[in-house]
Amino acid sequence: MVVMKAMGIESDQEVVQMVGRDPRYGFMLLPSIQECANDDIFNQKQALEFLDKKLKPSLYSSNEGKAFGVLRDFFLANVPVRELNFRPKAIYAAVMMRRMMDAMLNKDAIDDKDYVGNKRLELSGQLISLLFEDLFKTMNEEVKKRIDLGLRKSAGRSLPIENFITGDSITQGLERAISTGNWDLRRFKMHKKGMTQVLARLSFIAAVGQMTRVKPQFEKSRKVSGPRALQPSQWGMLCPCDTPEGEACGLVKNLALMTHVTTDQEEGLSPLISLCHSLGVESLELLSAEEIHTSNSFLVIFNGIILGKHRQPQRFATSMRKLRRAGKIGEFVSVYVNEKQRCVYIASDGGRVCRPLVIADKGVSRVKEHHMQELRDGVRTFRDFVRDGLIEYLDVNEQNNTLIALYEGEPKEEITHIEIEPLTILGVCAGLIPYPHHNQSPRNTYQCAMGKQAMGNIAYNQLSRMDSLLYLLVYPQRPLLTTKTIELVGYDKLGAGQNATVAVMSYSGYDIEDAIVMNKSSLDRGFGRCIVLKKGVSTLQRYANNTQDRICKPLKKGETDRKGDIEKMRILDEDGIASPGETIRPFDMYVNKEVPVNTKDPVDLQNVGFKSAFQTYKGAKGETAVIDRVALSSDVNNNLCIKFQFRETRRPELGDKFSSRHGQKGVCGTIVQQEDFPFSERGICPDLIMNPHGFPSRMTIGKMIELLGGKAGVSCGRFHYGSAFGEPSGQADTVEAISKTLVDKGFSYNGKDFLYSGITGSPLQAYIFMGPIYYQKLKHMVLDKMHARGRGPRVMLTRQPTEGRSRDGGLRLGEMERDCLIAYGASMLMYERLMLSSDPFEIQVCRTCGLLGYYNHKLKITVCSSCKNSENVSKIKLPYACKLLFQELQSMNIVPRLKLTEAS
Amino acid sequence: MEGMSYQRFPKIKIREMKDEYMKFELRETDVSMANALRRIMIAEVPTIAIELVEIEVNSTVLNDEFLAHRLGLVPLTSDRAMGMRFSRDCDACDGDGQCEYCSVEFHLSVRCDQDQTLDVTSADLLSADPSVVPVDVANAARSASFDSSENKGIIIVKLRRGQELRLRAIARKGIGKDHAKWSPTATVTFMYEPDIHINEDMMASLTLEEKLSWIESSPTKVFDIDPNTQQVIVVDPEAYTYDDEVIKKAEAMGKPGLVEITGREDSFIFTVESTGAVKASQIVLNAIEVLKQKLDAVRLSEDTEEADDQFGELGAHMRGG
Repeated sequence: MVVMKAMGIESDQEVVQMVGRDPRYGFMLLPSIQECANDDIFNQKQALEFLDKKLKPSLYSSNEGKAFGVLRDFFLANVPVRELNFRPKAIYAAVMMRRMMDAMLNKDAIDDKDYVGNKRLELSGQLISLLFEDLFKTMNEEVKKRIDLGLRKSAGRSLPIENFITGDSITQGLERAISTGNWDLRRFKMHKKGMTQVLARLSFIAAVGQMTRVKPQFEKSRKVSGPRALQPSQWGMLCPCDTPEGEACGLVKNLALMTHVTTDQEEGLSPLISLCHSLGVESLELLSAEEIHTSNSFLVIFNGIILGKHRQPQRFATSMRKLRRAGKIGEFVSVYVNEKQRCVYIASDGGRVCRPLVIADKGVSRVKEHHMQELRDGVRTFRDFVRDGLIEYLDVNEQNNTLIALYEGEPKEEITHIEIEPLTILGVCAGLIPYPHHNQSPRNTYQCAMGKQAMGNIAYNQLSRMDSLLYLLVYPQRPLLTTKTIELVGYDKLGAGQNATVAVMSYSGYDIEDAIVMNKSSLDRGFGRCIVLKKGVSTLQRYANNTQDRICKPLKKGETDRKGDIEKMRILDEDGIASPGETIRPFDMYVNKEVPVNTKDPVDLQNVGFKSAFQTYKGAKGETAVIDRVALSSDVNNNLCIKFQFRETRRPELGDKFSSRHGQKGVCGTIVQQEDFPFSERGICPDLIMNPHGFPSRMTIGKMIELLGGKAGVSCGRFHYGSAFGEPSGQADTVEAISKTLVDKGFSYNGKDFLYSGITGSPLQAYIFMGPIYYQKLKHMVLDKMHARGRGPRVMLTRQPTEGRSRDGGLRLGEMERDCLIAYGASMLMYERLMLSSDPFEIQVCRTCGLLGYYNHKLKITVCSSCKNSENVSKIKLPYACKLLFQELQSMNIVPRLKLTEAS
Repeated sequence: MEGMSYQRFPKIKIREMKDEYMKFELRETDVSMANALRRIMIAEVPTIAIELVEIEVNSTVLNDEFLAHRLGLVPLTSDRAMGMRFSRDCDACDGDGQCEYCSVEFHLSVRCDQDQTLDVTSADLLSADPSVVPVDVANAARSASFDSSENKGIIIVKLRRGQELRLRAIARKGIGKDHAKWSPTATVTFMYEPDIHINEDMMASLTLEEKLSWIESSPTKVFDIDPNTQQVIVVDPEAYTYDDEVIKKAEAMGKPGLVEITGREDSFIFTVESTGAVKASQIVLNAIEVLKQKLDAVRLSEDTEEADDQFGELGAHMRGG
């Protein structure tokens, strides 16, 4: 009430009128009115003075008149104040109060903050413009500072302003922000990390999937379920399947197939506002407080600003929509009538998600067969459909005013729109799954994560690229069971997997826990074979003293070879750079680089000392890589930069990870000869065997239908479809139809075959479910992970074995393992594991003082340096880390004394 | 059991025989024999395939390993393979392609100087030995009717202007157990010969429609109606895939025991398809030869000292252990 008074609404009656004349509102406002009266606040001046006192006192100036400024500039900053007219702001505040009190009286009126219509996506343009604004203002300040300084010195001479705008602070700032991804804008109190990401090129789907990702602003650590839950309003806008597992689950989302994110309207807002007024919106200025909430009128809110009210909201909305469909106003302007709040919302701001829908008149689609024919003939494009008012984009809010039919031909009068295709509610990653609507939902989510790890083709230019790591499949295939989405995104041209004939049966016991048994002959013929490309870079640095790195000729046979480098230089060319096509082994040199010894002080350029800094290939032992390509270029600092690409071809081996498109991952459990594999009387022999236990608990019926459809597909020579929710519209083949083709081609309707054991030749007891399933090879391969160590490097400080595979580290016997050994009483094993195999060390301990002594090699006696004698010194063995601890304790003035007893 | 003989004399009846396809019956023996034959045909009948590739120039889009793998999978005519030596057993040479007993040398040299893409095919593989050539080349040479314009051989790689491929390859003898490229067969399979007995009395109790629907229930065409007598007859017993569909249908119709189908445990119908490396009939003969050699090896080493090393437990078993 004080604030309202401060904004010039001095009469209590008017405030209550603005909020609404319902006695319940008045009752809730009463305490506030009472307070005003108690504090003697009756007019604007008194209210402002009261508020001034409430402000935090500042050091420099009194708070006189500050509240006025705050109210003008900060309070509801989105409502503009023209010529100190606070009325719009006051009305806005009153409407806010009304909504708040509505929510108090009636819980249903509370807005859902997770509702997608209440959210805005921030696009790159907005972020960059914010960044630019900050940098530009910073630069202006700097320039101003410099000019002030210059003016003080120059005393009246003319100063060309160009001279003061120096440096490239804007360029640098933009580059820094984009390369690090950190948006640190103090002006806008913005500190965001990871705003830019390097596009993952591990697979085509990973790249596309990353580009549809939506990341929320708030931190992931909070344990709230609301924002993570599936929102009904994200239907068609955000993919219900594609979300990561773990801490970001449900927060990181992905756009659905046809989602469009609006951008800010270029041409400004005034035309839209004046259009609203000419369509009958009564301006706020002309309304008295009483008139705002009359029972027959709706408020019109444009991009969050109250424009006024309208007496015939439905007519207003329809005419706005008609104008939009005619292309007179932007196609992404949304008009939404909210009956409950008695408001008409018009939005043209950026960041709303919207999607296209076919417009229907009384349930009859506007898109007719002749339109589709024109589309097929290429005369018409999607843009034309939008332009001609056959299809329109609706945002989440406006969808609430519509009745959307899934398919054409539903005979309902009220239907206003028809879905273009139900499968578009899924995103790109989920769209690859055939029959996803038959799967248990988490399986689809798992596949969305796994499809990004599958190897295959990356891009058409994959062999001209120089990625730091690239996995390619030697013979990638197009899935036998496709979906509409696959065709739309081009996965059929850049596939990441192979159609494997899968037999669902138990075999050999090496298929437990999701492991798969693979056919050796299939592997021989190229199944699952992949190419791994790795990059190595070497730059010839130029230093401050004008010295530069150089590349040296390799040593020839017979030349003096001090460190045995000649063996490492096997593959070097005459120029000291490895030549393409050579096989390279671990520790082979690929560039014989030398670095100047002195890079700081000025030296005689003719006579520079160099030391060797060659680079060697680091790969697993027994792995043979080939130098694929060598590229010479110059980097940003104009230094010579040599890039090497190493190539390995790998065939699947025990432990490599594979997955179907239904979130069913498994490792290769064993590889079996073809003659041991089961076979059918047609001579069909599976490529891999999967254990049937993978099905009951996972409930991936889609995989079974994929198998059936794939089998029908290969036997009749037509790619079958399994688009999501596609059966009614003919985008997916039905199981009935598939079974019919199977029977026509002489298979059993249920996809099961009569198989013979390859080992004995006798028939198997059961019919085996067998057919092709699209299998992906995932990037996790044993060769990259395999690790074992007997002896090896140690850490200098503790003398314990190093940690981690990359450092050839030891395998840790951790606390819990130690607990087990203690409980078991295996003390000698503990002694061996924790000391002898780790960091045994012998020390001399003085029995009298309990401190460490030393062994004097010259005199061949042991000495205690604190007792200054060599009596009573014994030798004991303990972990080096323990000795280190004693010495560290001593260094901080704690004396650890060892009390020795005789070993019994 | 001493002295008692289980010896049987299997009979073979050839049904169909083409160069690349063969169907025959194997009778009066049991599964172990049939399966042994099948396994040997897949894995142990030797053929010749490219094993070593030395690449001189490769400016194609495919990398060296890729090409080598593709070359290895090109089937080569291997009628000579049975008489050849494995290069690891060859005393005369070190398997460098010069030795006629164990290896055959191939050369390939193609360069594209035109604007259309040029296919490098198996026809470009030039063999040092006219008896060992890529299969499709041999086919083209043999039959004039073979349409060479349509079938240009197995594509190895496609070249565009300026790309070149030059290599030397050495083909060696090997068996399918080591690598599938040495397997002479595309498909080897057998089935038990089905024995179908229709219970005529029960069948007679069915109406024509019931008979028809019963016949339709089988995914393959096993039964039909005699147009004259309207009786159900077995037209093709081998088409039966042991799917039990007709039996289930009979049960669903309330006529269990309408038909009885059993596999005959001692007769097998073999289907052998060849990759073209060896004729289908020759594969079978070679397989029998290999099987004989293996059995000879067992018999010969029965009482020698190597028996223990070679056969281990098997030897102990044979000596009555």
